[in-house]
Parts: sequence; structure tokens; C-alpha cells
Amino acid sequence: MLYRLARRLRFSRMPLVLAAAGIAAALTACGSSTFESADDKIKVTTTIGMITDVVNEIGGDRVAVEGLMKSNVDPHLYKASQGDIKKLDHADVIFYNGLHLEGKMVEIFERMAGKKPTVAVSRNLADDRLRLGDPAQGTEHDPHIWFDVRNWMSAAEVIRDTLAERDPAHAQSYRDRADAYLEKLAQLHEEVREQIASIPESGRVLVTAHDAFGYFGDAYGIKVMGLQGISTASEAGTKDVADLRDYLVENRIKAVFIESSVPRKAIDAVIQGAKAKGHDLVIGGELFSDAMGAEGTEEGTYVGMVRHNVRTIVEALR
Amino acid sequence: MTTLWILLTGMLVAASCSLVGCFLVLRKMAMIGDAISHSVLPGIVIAFLVSGSRDSLPMLLGAAAIGLVTVFLIQLFHQGGVQSDAAIGVVFTALFSVGIVLVSAYTQHIDLDLDCVLYGEIAYVSWNTIEIAGIALGPKAVWGVGIALLLGVLCISLFYKQFKLCAFDPALAAAIGIPVALFHYLLMSLVSITTVASFESVGAILVVGMLVVPPSTAYLLTERLGRMIVYSIALGCVSAVAGYYAASLLDASIAGCMIGVAGALFVLALLFSPSHGVVWRRWRQRRLAEAHRLEAH
Repeated sequence: MLYRLARRLRFSRMPLVLAAAGIAAALTACGSSTFESADDKIKVTTTIGMITDVVNEIGGDRVAVEGLMKSNVDPHLYKASQGDIKKLDHADVIFYNGLHLEGKMVEIFERMAGKKPTVAVSRNLADDRLRLGDPAQGTEHDPHIWFDVRNWMSAAEVIRDTLAERDPAHAQSYRDRADAYLEKLAQLHEEVREQIASIPESGRVLVTAHDAFGYFGDAYGIKVMGLQGISTASEAGTKDVADLRDYLVENRIKAVFIESSVPRKAIDAVIQGAKAKGHDLVIGGELFSDAMGAEGTEEGTYVGMVRHNVRTIVEALR
Repeated sequence: MTTLWILLTGMLVAASCSLVGCFLVLRKMAMIGDAISHSVLPGIVIAFLVSGSRDSLPMLLGAAAIGLVTVFLIQLFHQGGVQSDAAIGVVFTALFSVGIVLVSAYTQHIDLDLDCVLYGEIAYVSWNTIEIAGIALGPKAVWGVGIALLLGVLCISLFYKQFKLCAFDPALAAAIGIPVALFHYLLMSLVSITTVASFESVGAILVVGMLVVPPSTAYLLTERLGRMIVYSIALGCVSAVAGYYAASLLDASIAGCMIGVAGALFVLALLFSPSHGVVWRRWRQRRLAEAHRLEAH
């Protein structure tokens, strides 16, 4: 009798027993949280690489920065891993871009704000400095603010002020480092303007796969045309491809550009189309849009990335 | 705390999805979850055009409405004589394409893809909390999925006999006076509510996987509906817990690992199930052949 009961239990309740064991394991594991750091560095977690870079520049060795999105990852398509939870959980400060760039994560950051500082680096930009997604029905702002260097200077100020507030003992060191960095960015801004101005006016058209360069166009006087919408997930319509091709052929534009984090299929279609109409269009090079280059390379920093883009654009269009 | 909330959410999703999933597998409509995950696109676009914002609530309402439309259309076509897989395919591609057309016509310059505005991520559930009148009530996902589970358990336990008969032998059910169509629609509405509530909390892959994989595994282990439901809920919970720890070891996506474990359990069941297992069947065949040979001698 007892034997039969045991047998029945073993067979019919096996998954239940396993589930109970699993839950027990889960409960015991929760108590022993890992990751204690001995030093008193401020732990900062950021979303995109551009922010990581600025926090490193301003925080120096006072901060330990961890970025969620690796280089060459399109932030629209980022997927969280288990380790990212820890990065968010243990952070003293979280910096993100905001303006819906991080999608639903932005909502999470806003909710977390009650427990720890979560700061959108775009927060000091007044509405008149933000581009509307589409003037016709624009209720939303274009999140790709970093291509106007002045916007990124504002972001750097937000980071400086947040760190200084969080760690008042070293506030002066943050301010000094930030001053030096802002100086560098101001120079970069001038440099970009001069470089783009050196392209003949009729040829100042930047064609890329998606609409990440709106701020760049506004700030430095170059007409920007994208194939996809703002989101990298929406697809280009057939008419968009045809319209763009006709425009390029008519205005004898020399080159179009591909992006490091977006597939190049649609751009290839435009090039083929232009060729069929007797206009030789080349790929001017690869631009960094939503993600920077690999860590440790020049393009892996914000300044290096902007320089790379400008160099590529100017060389192809001049 | 984070870990605990994620595990709880994972197990709630596993339980609520496996529960309705069993009936879907029996009715050969397992892919309906995947269908809903695509067909809700027009719902969120319309919700955006009406409300002008991408906040969770209008998105969720839009998705829930179109989710119901999806399952009703599928059921309608199926009753009209279209094969179930074809009905699912037709409805979701049609609705999804309506969504694509709406996006390209009206909202091209706004980031409105499903991943970005509707699908949640189980990694973040513990931070996405709700509070009413200043009282912290814990993660939103636990409440959303918990209510869906409660609704599912309530409906199915109240009408268990009817659901069972409709799943196995709709003709007999109709003959003895059960309103078969009504129960089919009820079940489909449950599926729609469960999936949309879970999409919003934990994302698509986890929901689609939990609807199909644990019930299919359980179906290899037993042929009795009651046991099948209990097994599949338990298997789903084990997958959720083991998957979380696998994700922690690999530093990988949590939802991905949970479904990965569920898939591995399915393969184990396929090989070693006492009744359907490939390994045992081979072994029995060989034993039989040997017995025949001995007899022949």
C-alpha cells in the first residue's frame, strides 16, 4: 500500500516536486547577493555608448561606468540580459538619453527615479531645441540629439551637475574635467561647421538609411534625407525609394551613406535605381548613427565618432 | 528582491499560459499566441492616433481590443470551414498588414514598433511598480498576469466539463446541448486576455513559448486532461526557475533562457516519456523482436 502510494507520487507528482525544489532553490539563492565593491567609486550605469564616454570623461577615476548597450548595437533592438539587471540594481546613478530612444525602458527609468537618481541627459534641452519627428503630425521629438554637438554639450552639463550633486566632496574635480571636455566639444562644433561648409552648396545633401541625422543637418546646414522613418524597425516604402532616386539623379548627388547599425539593403536599391537612370552613385562610407565604434578605437569615443562621420561625409561629397 | 519578483512573474506567466495552452494544443491552435503577437499592431497604431501618446495604457487597450478581434475572426473562419492553421494564418497576416500600412501612411516618423511600445521585458518587472494612494503594491506585471491567471482558473474550473468535451469531441458536446460555439469564444477570449496582459509585462517570446511548449511536453507524458494541465503548469514553472538561473550563468536574455529550458524538457520527454518516448519504444520493439526470434527457435 505504502509502496503503491510512493510509486504513484513519484510518477504523477514529479513535476510538482521539481517545481517546489526550484522555488526553494530560488529563495535560498536570493539571500546571497554578490557584487560588493571595496572602493568608494560612484557606480554609474548608462544606456548608449555616447553617454558612457561622456561620463568617463567627466567622472575620470572617481566613477565606475558600465554601459548596457555594446558598440554596434542598435538601441531600438537592444535586449536586456540577466547581468544588466545587476548593473541597474547596483548603480548609484543611471544616465539615459530619453525622448523614447530607449523605448519602454524610459518608463522604467522614470519609475525608478523615486529610489535612485535616473537622469535623462536630454532633460535640459528646451522644446525649441528639439526637432519634431514630423511637423505634420509631430507629437514626438526626434531622440538622436547627439549629432548637434551643442546638444551633447548640454548633456555633458547634465552629467557634470548630477555627479557633483551626488559626490559633493569631489565636485570641483568634476567641474574642472567637465570644463576641459566642454572646451573640446566647442572646438569640435566649430570644426564640424567649417568642414561641412567646405562642401559646395549644391552638393550638401546627406542620404542615409534612417532618420538619425536631423539635428546634424539643422546645426551644420546640410540637407538630410533618410529612407526609413525614425525607427530602424519600420521599412522603406517603394515610393520612398523611387522619390529618393529621382531626387539624387536630378541633383547629381555624388554619394550616399550606410550606417554601422542599420542594414544597407534599401540604400543598395537606391544605388541600383540611379545606375539604371544613368547616374553613377557611390557609397560614401559607413557612418556611425545610433551606436559608436568598438571600444578602444578612435571611433569608440563620442568625439572620434563625430570626426569619423564628418571626415567620411566631406571626402565623399566634396 | 529583484530575483524573487522575476521568478514570481515568470511562474505566473508560465501557469496562466500553460493553462489555456493545453486547450489550444488539443484544438490544434497552438500558434494562436504568435498570431496575436503580430496582429495587435493595428491596435497600437490606432490607439496612438486616437490618444496621441505612447503611454502603456492606451497601447494596452488598443492591443487588447485587436487581440479579441483576432481570436473572434479566427474562430469565425474556423467554424465557417477553414482549417484552423489556415484561419490563424489568414487573420494574423491580414491584421498585421493593416498595421504596417497604417504605420507607413500615418506614423512613419514616430517610433511605433511593437518591441518598443508594447512588449515588456521580464528583466525590468521589479522596477515597474504600481502604487495606489501612496501604498506600494509591488510590480505591475505580477498584478496584470496574476489577474489573468485568476480569471483563467476561475473560468476553466467553473466550466471544466464543458471545456473538456468541447476540446475533445465538439460534435458530442453539441449533441448533448452544450453551446459549443459559446465555449470556444470564451476560451479564445481567455487566450487573448492572457497573452496581451503578458506581452505588456514580459514580452512576446516568453508568452508564445509558454503557450505551446509546456502543454506539448505534458501531452507526451499523459493523455488525461486534468493531469496534462497540472503537468504543464509545473513544467512551465520549472522552466521559468531553471531558465532564470541559466540566464544568470550565461549572462543572457532571461525570457530566451526560460523558453530554452522548456524546449530542453520537451526533448527529454520526447525521448524518455514512459508512453510516447522514442527510446522506450525502440527498446520495447527490440524486446518484442527478440521474443519472436526465441519463439521461432
